[in-house]
Amino acid sequence: MASNATAYKDLTPAAPLDKKTLNRMVWRSCQLQASFNYERMQAAGWLWGILPGLQKIHTNKEDLSLSMEHNLEFFNTHPFLVTFVMGIVLSLEQQKADINTIRSVRVAAMGPLGGIGDALFWFALVPITAGITCNMAIDGSIVGPILYFVICFGVEMALRYFLMHWSYNLGTSAIGALTKNAKEFTRAASMLGVFVVGALTCNYGAISLGMMIPNGQALNDAGELVDNFINVQGLLDGVLPAALSLAVTMLCYWLIKKKNWSATKCIFLLLVIGVVGCAFGIWAGDYTSLVSVPWHK
Amino acid sequence: MQVVLLAIVTFIFAIDQFSLTEILYRPIIACPIIGLILGSPETGLVVGGTYELMMVGNMPVGGAQPPNAVLGGVVGVVLAVTANLPTEQALGAAIVFALFGQYAVTLTFTVMSGLMAKADKAAEEANPAGITQVNLISMCILGALFAVMAVLAYTGGQAMGETLQEFSAKFSWLMGGLGAAGGMMRNVGFAILLKIMLSNDLWGIYLAGFAAAAVLGNIPATAGACLILVAFIGVAIAINDFTLNLKIKENAGNGGVSDGI
Repeated sequence: MASNATAYKDLTPAAPLDKKTLNRMVWRSCQLQASFNYERMQAAGWLWGILPGLQKIHTNKEDLSLSMEHNLEFFNTHPFLVTFVMGIVLSLEQQKADINTIRSVRVAAMGPLGGIGDALFWFALVPITAGITCNMAIDGSIVGPILYFVICFGVEMALRYFLMHWSYNLGTSAIGALTKNAKEFTRAASMLGVFVVGALTCNYGAISLGMMIPNGQALNDAGELVDNFINVQGLLDGVLPAALSLAVTMLCYWLIKKKNWSATKCIFLLLVIGVVGCAFGIWAGDYTSLVSVPWHK
Repeated sequence: MQVVLLAIVTFIFAIDQFSLTEILYRPIIACPIIGLILGSPETGLVVGGTYELMMVGNMPVGGAQPPNAVLGGVVGVVLAVTANLPTEQALGAAIVFALFGQYAVTLTFTVMSGLMAKADKAAEEANPAGITQVNLISMCILGALFAVMAVLAYTGGQAMGETLQEFSAKFSWLMGGLGAAGGMMRNVGFAILLKIMLSNDLWGIYLAGFAAAAVLGNIPATAGACLILVAFIGVAIAINDFTLNLKIKENAGNGGVSDGI
């Protein structure tokens, strides 16, 4: 579990990372989602990606352990743009910034990149490239798939490389001005971080009820008599959108903070809630409930 | 020999859909390679081109899982070559395998949530090799599950598809449950972040962030850029707080001297 220390033991800034190490982390960044999971998403892949840098920066074992622990917290961003976050975070780590500051900057940077990356890559580059190359493939030309790979992989790697070096230099040059007022900066960064986690709680919320309670019959627009249902999730959205995501986050926060539960224990609890809920047709989704109930078809 | 190659290549594609190049697994590239292994690269090209076009409207966007592209494509080619099915029909018959591909993904993501405790331990001991291990375990689980499905399709053909269909209908509540639980698990991740970041005076900020996303995320025109816009608002609040506290600090410094005016 993450410890509560907020500063590194050795506060002397480390030597700047050399180009070779940065490039090595560009390649490692490809494995960002290697151990993707529902709880912390890309966390372990993220940590693995920046480990060469962290090992150079934190030469004593305690600091390396502290750094590894906080870099194993929830992480999710666009895989092709991740080196931007890497560069900034590494520049902060190198200056031995306050751990809360690093955490907050990391959280604030990862969220918005997801939307940008999807728009650039999955909505623009891939459909356009597919449009050009698919017909070549269907006509039996091997050039189609090769061209597709060269274009997409080329753009991906160029982005990873450029963003890593650009954001590392950006972070390094901006940091001097901020360390002078470190306490104020940490507070402001924490505010931004907490604000973004609040947004993620709503935006990443993926829990919804699937219960449709039969409620007699009603006339539809065409004047036919059809079965009427009460959509429980719809009612809940009327009270507060993403209410369940907020509620589950608060439940876990309470269990972890006040009851000293481990994350693994929370996950187990949620597994039981999820599976038992689907056995009784409570959660939304395309499945057949184990017990036949009136609110789930 | 064919089976072994098929299993190995599918193993790699399964990993590639989330890591490595994240391009090789696309049907337009994966299918011709499978076709080559089965001795009919032309079929692979046709199936791959067709499936890729079907997939373009079906991107892994925002963490949502589409019906699995890897097994859809791989099994599509396998059925097209071994059972001599026309492209459209082969892809149709491959859908049930694609569904199981998605089950395999759900299962792996759930299991790996539990294995994060192992990663935590490695971090505590400052042991980089431990982190490498966790990543390797995850990739092997995913790759192995996919390779098994591909081999099942190769040896069992369409009949296997029907068996899987029955199995899937019987246990859909269990997979639905894992999926529902998966949707909740990210909230554990948020709770861990909050445990450290959320001091008592920041509760309002947390709820304000939630509210900003609730508004911006539900307006069609801003939904796509929701988190960027939220970051703009957050940056404004943070900069305001920073400058305000800086002024207070400066004034407090002067205040001691100029007291008594």
